[in-house]
Amino acid sequence: MQDFTNQALTSLSTQFSTQLGKRLLLPQVATATLELIINKALALNNNKSVSFAAVAQKTLTLELAELPFTLCFTVNTSASKTLVIVRSRTEFSDCTINTSFNTLNKLKAKKSLTQLIKQDELDVTGDIKIAQQFANIAQSLEIDWQTELAKHLGDVPTHKLLQFGNNITKSLIGKGKQLEADIGEYLVHEKRLVVTNSQINAFNQKTKAVASKVDSLSARIDKLVANIANK
Amino acid sequence: MSSTDKNSPATDLSTTPNTATDADSSANAPVDNNSTTHFGYKTIEKDDKISMVAGVFHSVAKQYDVMNDLMSFGIHRLWKRFTIDASGVRPGNKVLDLAGGTGDLTAKFSQLVGREGKVVLADINSSMLNVGRDKLRDKGLVQNIEYVQANAEYLPFEENTFDIVTIAFGLRNVTDKDKALRSIYSVLKPGGRLLVLEFSKPENELLNKAYDFYSFNILPKMGELVAKDGESYQYLAESIRMHPDQETLKGMMENAGFEQTSYKNLTGGVVALHKGYKF
Repeated sequence: MQDFTNQALTSLSTQFSTQLGKRLLLPQVATATLELIINKALALNNNKSVSFAAVAQKTLTLELAELPFTLCFTVNTSASKTLVIVRSRTEFSDCTINTSFNTLNKLKAKKSLTQLIKQDELDVTGDIKIAQQFANIAQSLEIDWQTELAKHLGDVPTHKLLQFGNNITKSLIGKGKQLEADIGEYLVHEKRLVVTNSQINAFNQKTKAVASKVDSLSARIDKLVANIANK
Repeated sequence: MSSTDKNSPATDLSTTPNTATDADSSANAPVDNNSTTHFGYKTIEKDDKISMVAGVFHSVAKQYDVMNDLMSFGIHRLWKRFTIDASGVRPGNKVLDLAGGTGDLTAKFSQLVGREGKVVLADINSSMLNVGRDKLRDKGLVQNIEYVQANAEYLPFEENTFDIVTIAFGLRNVTDKDKALRSIYSVLKPGGRLLVLEFSKPENELLNKAYDFYSFNILPKMGELVAKDGESYQYLAESIRMHPDQETLKGMMENAGFEQTSYKNLTGGVVALHKGYKF
């Protein structure tokens, strides 16, 4: 019954957030932002050997488990520069991928597309070559963020900012590793020492049994004391 | 594209006044007799509406994009994105962006239909068309876009030409909306779809009141400050109130022959996207 209630509540809250998101045009906000970032990154790409010819006018659709809407990427090369148009839905796609953010990170970490498909982490419909070409392009982009930032901020502030960023990153990585080690320590050693529910229940039962024995013993002693007093 | 023939499909704003009869079936619109129509809250001679609307848009054309961003706080870009998402456009499609103004939808459609496709940016107003053409050329979008000055009531295209027709924030300025819808139906290919993005009636009464206050008190002042033309923005507010509500427009589309008509309210019904198919 509780499971059913939980499922119903989860379904309701998902529907509510999806409807609210649509009312606030969140899919459009997300795609507009993504489009801006992607096209900015393309403009800053230093690797001029990247070719978009194979994906020109092709559409790749991503259906991410965590998102209530799809992300459709279409490449346009007919204007003076290559552009990627991002939409929240389309009725036509050359390739559709069903996956999650976590799996996308694995793809970023140079795990191959086919490897992830074999592990059932990716579901691809349509022309898989399109997905591979999109992934190859994304991996071959080279952006010199330091130079680009220096153009706007100047050399010294950029250097300081990046140094600060690197320190923060190192610190966060260190903290992350420490947290990971602490959790590991807890799971391996501390958790064994923690009293479980069944142990508490058993202890409670034993305590109750002892209490009832003490009560009966006490009653018996009272009775004996009364008998002695009467004699 | 211009013509001095009143029956010709294409019309030149400067030489050809519209002689169409107004069969607007809007529930909100005042009851028209055969010779009058509305221009905002004013009742005017039908023949005067095109030139009066033209006057508004000649006046605001250069500041149109800036004012759109200011008035809608940039949300008009999201409404247009929603329209593109709902269009189902694909490479090779032929798209008519009617009353396309400064070409926001045309720009996106042009990128999505590719070299094999075509987008026609049509507007009755030469000033708006010029601003749109300059903007799109500056963006490097030249290969698959055509520009046509045309009246929505008399579209100068062969029957069954387009896969998609869009009209964004333009239908309320058309003198005879029913005639325009029939004309659009004619130029759509079987299976093609019409998307009408237009101001509509907010669903919530509180929002409606806030929207009224904003439209009639703040918007004209904004127009006065930025575009030096408060009157045009007063007309904008009035014309929105005179435009058919969601259900009425849906009915008008069905009367024109469209099937599977539906609409989606955006931003609480401040704007609605109507969709209909020709089969």
